[in-house]
Amino acid sequence: MLCRSADEIFWMSRYVERAIAVGRLIEVTWHLELDAGDLVDSGARFWMPLLGLEGDGGHAHTEGQSTPGDVRRHLSLDRGNPSSLVSCIGQARASAQRVRESISTEMWEQINELYLSLAHSELGAEMERDPYLFFRRVREGAQFFQGLADGTMAHDEAWDFICLGTYLERADNVARLLDLQTHLLTAESDDGNDPSVRWLAVLRSCGAAEPYARYYSLRIDPARVIEFLLLNPVFPQSLRFSLVAARNALAGIEAGRHIRGERSAERLMGRVCGRLENAAVDEVLDEGLHTFLLDTRARIGQVADQVTRTYLRDEPDSGKLVGVARATMIMAAQQQQQTGRAGAYPPPPANHGAVAGRPAR
Amino acid sequence: MMAERQNMAALSYDVGPFWDEMFEGDRAPRPHYATLASKLASLSEAEVARRQAAADRSFMGRGITFAVADDPSGIEKILPFDLIPRLILPDEWRTIERGLAQRVRALNLFLHDVYHDQHILADGTLDPELVLGSRGYQREFQGVDPPLGIYTHVVGSDLVRDAGGDFYVLEDNLRTPSGVSYLIENRRVLKRTWPQLFDGYDVRPVEGYPQALLEVLQAVAPPMADDPVVVLLTPGIYNSAFFEHAFLARSMGIEMVQGSDLFVDDGTVFMHTTHGRERVDVIYRRIDDEYLDPLTFRSDSILGVAGLMAAYRLGRVALANGVGTGVADDKATYSYVPTIIRYYLDEDPILPNVPTYLPTNPDDLAYVLDHIGELVVKAVNASGGYGMLIGPHSTRAQLDDFRGRIRARPRDFIAQPTLALSRHPCWVTDHLEGRHVDLRPFVLFGSDVHVTPGGLTRVAIRSGSLVVNSSQGGGSKDTWVLAEGHRATADA
Repeated sequence: MLCRSADEIFWMSRYVERAIAVGRLIEVTWHLELDAGDLVDSGARFWMPLLGLEGDGGHAHTEGQSTPGDVRRHLSLDRGNPSSLVSCIGQARASAQRVRESISTEMWEQINELYLSLAHSELGAEMERDPYLFFRRVREGAQFFQGLADGTMAHDEAWDFICLGTYLERADNVARLLDLQTHLLTAESDDGNDPSVRWLAVLRSCGAAEPYARYYSLRIDPARVIEFLLLNPVFPQSLRFSLVAARNALAGIEAGRHIRGERSAERLMGRVCGRLENAAVDEVLDEGLHTFLLDTRARIGQVADQVTRTYLRDEPDSGKLVGVARATMIMAAQQQQQTGRAGAYPPPPANHGAVAGRPAR
Repeated sequence: MMAERQNMAALSYDVGPFWDEMFEGDRAPRPHYATLASKLASLSEAEVARRQAAADRSFMGRGITFAVADDPSGIEKILPFDLIPRLILPDEWRTIERGLAQRVRALNLFLHDVYHDQHILADGTLDPELVLGSRGYQREFQGVDPPLGIYTHVVGSDLVRDAGGDFYVLEDNLRTPSGVSYLIENRRVLKRTWPQLFDGYDVRPVEGYPQALLEVLQAVAPPMADDPVVVLLTPGIYNSAFFEHAFLARSMGIEMVQGSDLFVDDGTVFMHTTHGRERVDVIYRRIDDEYLDPLTFRSDSILGVAGLMAAYRLGRVALANGVGTGVADDKATYSYVPTIIRYYLDEDPILPNVPTYLPTNPDDLAYVLDHIGELVVKAVNASGGYGMLIGPHSTRAQLDDFRGRIRARPRDFIAQPTLALSRHPCWVTDHLEGRHVDLRPFVLFGSDVHVTPGGLTRVAIRSGSLVVNSSQGGGSKDTWVLAEGHRATADA
């Protein structure tokens, strides 16, 4: 398929998945706030940290005297915020429109109608009046779109790009959310509140409370929550499941290629999957959860970058030094340097709190 | 009053001095419209309004829309759609079909001649200055042979009816005519929102168009391509016909590409795909000649593909429509189409032209300047209803302004009598009103000429307006060509 179409489809599905994650996070935070009662400063405790999920752009926008309502609106309805709920749906719809010929009519009509249903001027009132119904309607609208993609499109290359986008995005979202929440829980561990409510909310924000209960009974044990969300092989919102599903999609894309390149994206994908498949939760916590998640997110980012170069931009590796040629050069350089310090592992990106932006074409 | 019946006075009107498609002079429906009229009469006003709203929602939800600049809400607009279909009788359609096929064949022979030996200019039948001075004439393509000798694969000609009920050709669109998606979608939406309307009518289907178009495109592929790759080239999302481009690409199952998706290497056109480069054999291009290739035409065009014209000249890629067809739908050339038909086919034109005055001709110029208040003046190089003067609807200052412009640049204008375009009832709030309409059928030319049995009926939505162009607030209707043998009686 066309590189440009694959690019649009990949980002269309990422934005739909991102919208689901953003909506669920706001919804769960709202519940937490209600559980906490009037005594705590709910803005500082529950809502401001969510802005950290967006990187600096979000912070600057709502700094100062932000009320919980301001933060909610910024995350849900602000068209100026590229990761808000309405922006995600808007970008997914814009991509779908540009590749209308490559997706099914059912999918297009669903995302278009969802977008139109968010374009009316009373949206803020609708959300504040009945947040449960509002977030549920948007989430289900997005999930319906995902279901229609499964049920109405041929499961060919375009479908593989939909899966790749959906699961890479989901993996990144789970890692990001878990990183934020564990950070907060550690910071406030000695304030006397029962942390199990908060851990339950972490599960809920991944739609994972009931499946967790089926596995472990609903006794909230932080290590088990982490294990479930990171390493469970069959729960579709876990990091491991998402990465394995993304790997399968990538294998499907690569299998259809006539030309055999360096398979860089597949190799990067295989490495990060292997890490999750062979990890144990005690080892992860021993290494440091934050470090583990940071590293995993950096690797997900590398996979996405390589996918972009190889499949979405048609930038073949030829012309660059790759494989044996590059290895030869590295060895020569090391011999000359004598110190043997070449090829250090690159540091993780600085803005590790931010969501992945879409690279320009 | 019960809601089940309409106020009968709301269901007809005085047809005035115009040909009305549905009603005769005595306000009674024509026989083939009688069933439709009785169905309308059986519904309440609220019911018709409900179906109209459902149709509008359907267009919106399906994204059959065009973007409106400077609208911050991000909501697009739909082309106004009127529920009441326009009906065309089988024998009327036969004439249209034969007339358009004749026209398209003759215009292709004309194009081939202009870009080769130019007999029609050499023997003085047409003025070389008029033809070769057209902005649509592309000198660089002199001597280039398009596959099968076909220049115009897709044609959309605009027909109008005068007060006597006769069809005339108002103009030919031989470059990148648009609107065929509306022809098909109008039918789909009407079937969705008012299926009962079709009972008792035998309407010829229009769904075959995309398949027929694909067959034309495959037929003109370069001979060395045994399984030709066909793509549709769009200028992108900001083009007002983008919906149509996506619709056609999806219906035909071909890729919709933008200029940046294509590149030329060693005289062959390729597209960037996830599997590397893939050869392209036929391009159904929906961008104008001037933007196709920055190396040949406008160097500032970012919509086209550098080197595309070289590949086209070498016959490595086919373009539909061909390059340079604008010379044959120039509004000045138009006035000679009857001559062109006689010259190449030795036949009388089946569909008449609207009489046209060319200000380059001194007698015509004098007439136009004297009678400008009764005429419609059009700029030859404009379309979409821009650059047009409707004499009877214009102020003295506007008439004087056009007189000055015609004197200064006579080759840039033509003038025609103001036609009393036929009217068709439209549903306005709670009753029917007559609105002026035209008809754009679509002609495909591959191994044979094929006219899709239907057309886009464009409606001048404003009361009394004669301008049907969508860029000027026009709307459209579903258009039914009734099948052969359809009895023109009330209870057919």
